[in-house]
Amino acid sequence: MTVTLASLSQQTGLAVLDHLEQSVTIPVVDGLQAQGDLIVIPLSVIASSIRIWSDTKWTDVPPEGVELLRSEAGGNPHTLVADPGTCRWATNVADSDRLAIGVFTTSAVAYLLHPEHGATGCTPGTYVIRRQREQEGRRARLVAD
Amino acid sequence: MQREAAEIREEWLGRALSTLPADRPAAEAAVSGLYSLIGLAPPRFHWVSSPVAALTTVPPGMRPRPSETVERLSEWPLPPRLSSLMRQLCRELDAQVRWVHQGMDRMIRHEVRSSLSRSTDGSLFMSLRAAHDPQLVMRTGWYDTQCASWVAHYDALRRTAGVFFAPEQTRQFELWATVARSCGWWWPREDVCVISERPVAVHTEVFGDSGEVRLHHADGPAMRYADGWDVHAWHGTRVPAWVITDPDVRRISREANVEVRRCAIEHIGWSSYIDQAGLRLVASAPDPGNPGSELRLYDMRAETKVLLAVNGSVERDGHRRRYGLTVPGFFDDPIAAAGWTYGLPAEQYALLARRT
Repeated sequence: MTVTLASLSQQTGLAVLDHLEQSVTIPVVDGLQAQGDLIVIPLSVIASSIRIWSDTKWTDVPPEGVELLRSEAGGNPHTLVADPGTCRWATNVADSDRLAIGVFTTSAVAYLLHPEHGATGCTPGTYVIRRQREQEGRRARLVAD
Repeated sequence: MQREAAEIREEWLGRALSTLPADRPAAEAAVSGLYSLIGLAPPRFHWVSSPVAALTTVPPGMRPRPSETVERLSEWPLPPRLSSLMRQLCRELDAQVRWVHQGMDRMIRHEVRSSLSRSTDGSLFMSLRAAHDPQLVMRTGWYDTQCASWVAHYDALRRTAGVFFAPEQTRQFELWATVARSCGWWWPREDVCVISERPVAVHTEVFGDSGEVRLHHADGPAMRYADGWDVHAWHGTRVPAWVITDPDVRRISREANVEVRRCAIEHIGWSSYIDQAGLRLVASAPDPGNPGSELRLYDMRAETKVLLAVNGSVERDGHRRRYGLTVPGFFDDPIAAAGWTYGLPAEQYALLARRT
């Protein structure tokens, strides 16, 4: 089945802004990709910075998706969406840069969906999701757009 | 149940942030009732227009004892007596929750009490910290005693979980609930009780999953009292009025507080700010994964550069939004700076295949 913004929106019950193209097939990307203030990095790229504990609890991503991060104003969640039984995710990961919010491993294409940024697909594999930071003088903060 | 709890939370949030004039007879009767529960006669009441008026003026006809000046609020005799009355009531009610209601109690604590406590912290407490010594606001428990969050918690337990209140408990609870919905902050001395009116305007935005709100208004004060005293706030950060009314690059450069600077720049918009401030372009480079867009790195101030980036997705009007990210000052390569924001070296960030 062709996956579009409209079909993902229907599957998850999450609304996306109507000016985004609803009916075009969502590109599926092999490698690093960013969605606003989140980045998805193949685990192999940053394996040396990441430690996944052996007792990490992996959770199946349900059809309605998993909310990864919300904007500071409360709305606009980044959501991880996959077909049932194909994708698991875990939050208990150690990141030497302290930016990782979780890791997911998927045997089919998994999607990141956001009301303003639209959607993007990830080929099967294991990925780390990191947040974005900024710093002024000595003061660091995490971005929440 | 959760929906019912959320409705009760919204009721109390509406009361806490109400901009209606105080119900003075109801407030005075309830405060007198609380005085009588600690064995005191009803006080004289002195109404003021705002918390700052309460803290800077002395009620007419009163010669404040040195121990009862506002600076020594934490040493006043009445607030601890009233607070311990309230805590005793809470302990009794908690005992009545017992194991049958424990699950409900946990849900209500989360959905109602914590949420309201965060909402009042980001609004009414912010105005109090603006009026008062912020340390004092934290140190004295008196303001927490007045917070609607605990009242809403027991109100929700009573209404949704059917927790039984004895008649005496109901009577005292109603006194606290009446004060919480009838007036602003209050300051009890033995013979006179100063009560503030509520604000006449409150502007908030939702920021949490459980309906938490915080002060925000881009066009004027976020909270204003009838006497003109006001508080400005940008997405929950208290800022000087100029950040809202006249954000200006000269003021930004003079401002010592990084949060205040950031709010003012966000209000102007990063692109305009960089133009108006005449920041020097250090370098630019094509944005990996974002065809047709550039990453531009500018000198900002000592130890800091700013990376101006372009959104991967279009706005409703077809534009792509530009936004600034502050990065450590040692970068001179925009790709390395962009990579750093995600904890990646330049050569890895350069592999970015797509940005949405």
